[in-house]
Amino acid sequence: MERNQHSVRTPLNSVVERRSKSKSYRLSYRSGLGAASRPCFTPGLTARRLDTSRKAPKSRDITEKMTKEQLTLLVQTEWQLSYVTPLYRFRHTQLKSYSRQLSAFIAAEKQQGLAVDVEGTDNTFRVSFSLVQGMTESVDDAETVLIQIHRKSLFASQNEPLKPVWSGWLTCINVNPGYLQSLTKDFICLPLFCSSGAGALTTLVQSWFQQSFDCCFGPLEISHMSLQWLIALWINCNPESSIRQLKMIWTLPVEPPLKVTYTVNSEDAWELWRTVRKEDRAGEEEEDSIDIEEVTSFMQGLKGHFFRHFRLDLSAGCLNEVSTALGSAKHTGMIKISNSKYLITTLTLLTECAILKMPI
Amino acid sequence: MDESTKRLVQRLMRRIPSKMLKITLEKWGRLTEKQQREIEAVQSKRALTEHLLSFCEKNELGVKRLTELEMIHIIDNPNQEMWYAFRLSDPEDDARSVDLMQFKEQFKSHIRELVSQVSVKIRKHTDEAVWIRIAWGDTYSCPNHLKPTYVVHNLQTPYVFVTSLTSKKKLMLSQALVLSTRYQSLKDANLSGRKLTAIRDLLMRQYQQVFPTKYPSPLTERNQTVTNPHIEREQAKPAERRLQLACEAFGVGMLPQLQSAVYKLETKLRDHTDRTMREREEPFRCVVKFASTNLLESLKNCASSGIASTPVTPLLSSIPLKGKNYFVITENGPGPSSQMS
Repeated sequence: MERNQHSVRTPLNSVVERRSKSKSYRLSYRSGLGAASRPCFTPGLTARRLDTSRKAPKSRDITEKMTKEQLTLLVQTEWQLSYVTPLYRFRHTQLKSYSRQLSAFIAAEKQQGLAVDVEGTDNTFRVSFSLVQGMTESVDDAETVLIQIHRKSLFASQNEPLKPVWSGWLTCINVNPGYLQSLTKDFICLPLFCSSGAGALTTLVQSWFQQSFDCCFGPLEISHMSLQWLIALWINCNPESSIRQLKMIWTLPVEPPLKVTYTVNSEDAWELWRTVRKEDRAGEEEEDSIDIEEVTSFMQGLKGHFFRHFRLDLSAGCLNEVSTALGSAKHTGMIKISNSKYLITTLTLLTECAILKMPI
Repeated sequence: MDESTKRLVQRLMRRIPSKMLKITLEKWGRLTEKQQREIEAVQSKRALTEHLLSFCEKNELGVKRLTELEMIHIIDNPNQEMWYAFRLSDPEDDARSVDLMQFKEQFKSHIRELVSQVSVKIRKHTDEAVWIRIAWGDTYSCPNHLKPTYVVHNLQTPYVFVTSLTSKKKLMLSQALVLSTRYQSLKDANLSGRKLTAIRDLLMRQYQQVFPTKYPSPLTERNQTVTNPHIEREQAKPAERRLQLACEAFGVGMLPQLQSAVYKLETKLRDHTDRTMREREEPFRCVVKFASTNLLESLKNCASSGIASTPVTPLLSSIPLKGKNYFVITENGPGPSSQMS
């Protein structure tokens, strides 16, 4: 699988055609393994894959424009990922009105008794939409939108602070310009949806978006390959901010399932990473890019060391979870980005995954 | 009844599942027949606790009796705590002749010399094991019955199994044990797990083992998947060989249920293509943890299915062979628990 992944070099800016109900409508851009598993007959539309080379993370101070509360929320929460298809006629200027509409929608659903009664009956929910400033990388990226739901108890006094019960955000970092051009101007592309809080509220928010902006949501798993990319991106930051340790969890398909936790000392992992980095780079510009070959040979190095001791092939299993001091990610689509400096880099990768996962 | 006794009752009732309560109380035998019947009629945990509290008050059952009840429960359900194995070493000449009475007396007097406030209860279980419950206190506080330590020792064997313990208390326990069993030292056996029976079976080799043989006889465990007969014939031999080797390494039948094994590796990264990495002086430091509901079964399955190469590496087969599940692996280094792959 991995071999396929990097033997097929795709142009970085492969043109994605306009959203149209062509016959390949149901075919989706599958990320990582999915795309590689049918390499022969992929028509132009599905030829896109995860980039085989990406910029090395640069530490960036994004704290200037963002409020402190927003930043703490973003980096201290573990988020469940979903993809969202482009939003039809979403306006960043209408956030106030969206707040009112979504509050009303939740209240209405509750009255119908459809919503799961998360917090008891004597509560009302207050929704607030806000912009997260400074969370963009390229000029084409749409501004990040943060949604928070607070619970207001009828019996609470006026001065009592509202209790946040759910938060979520829609973002788009460094999206492929070709993809954006393929959309008509009525569509806003915010492909990555991160949520945290009661599942019932997530469903409500999603269905409001679906009704209001003619979009659809789907779960975004982090593929085996993306997890490896995350390892590489994080480890590349080690000299600047220590990753403390690199922890990977595999599950091997035997009965009963065998869980293997492989934890590597940060300095030694960095040493290994340094040796797999290619030294002969043409031109200054490419100096800080990471190639898929480097990622795979780093993983091979780790797996080889493991095999020499245990004569057990980790490739037979599935990489489920990776974590360092900079963040953690799970195959199920849970992610936590613990260091704000590398938020943009991680989100660039996840935006790409979301675009790939979307039905065309 | 004082507050601490009340809390002990509440804690006990939380620990003992409702369906086991009847039989445990019967074994305890401190309630009258009428009381026992009354308890059996009650359903909710809260009401049961209330009942037991009132009976304890009425029958004047104090901490001492309640600890008996706890011991009965723990002895019957030893697979709920985390157990750590230790090994006594260097026996004195008279170590073999220590009997229960002597051990009891000696242990109690030694531990009381070391810890001023301590409550010790010793019970002999049917399978020859001696169960010790220790509630620790210090100069300023009474023994804490809510956090006792359990110690299980089979007389005339070098094995001791202990539930969680701080290092200071471990030191005192080790001294008292060494003196009363007539050994010279107590060492960490680097084996731990949630099932006492499993780690004991592993150390005492009370599980079905398979020994290398030149003429392998067909084993009863077989993969039942039906495939193409030609492929099957082609694959049968290597598969059988793998199964044989897997069984030789880990045993057959019900294997002792271990939950995890940890390897601390401090070896060089040797097979790497890059020279600088191969020639690096410092070892590559990492920790590998294997975890499963039945670790030995999972590993055996890895070997028989081919995910792990056979013959099984000594690192993995050392778990049953040496009865350990914590290893430090260094490059030829003579560390306390080191071993080279």
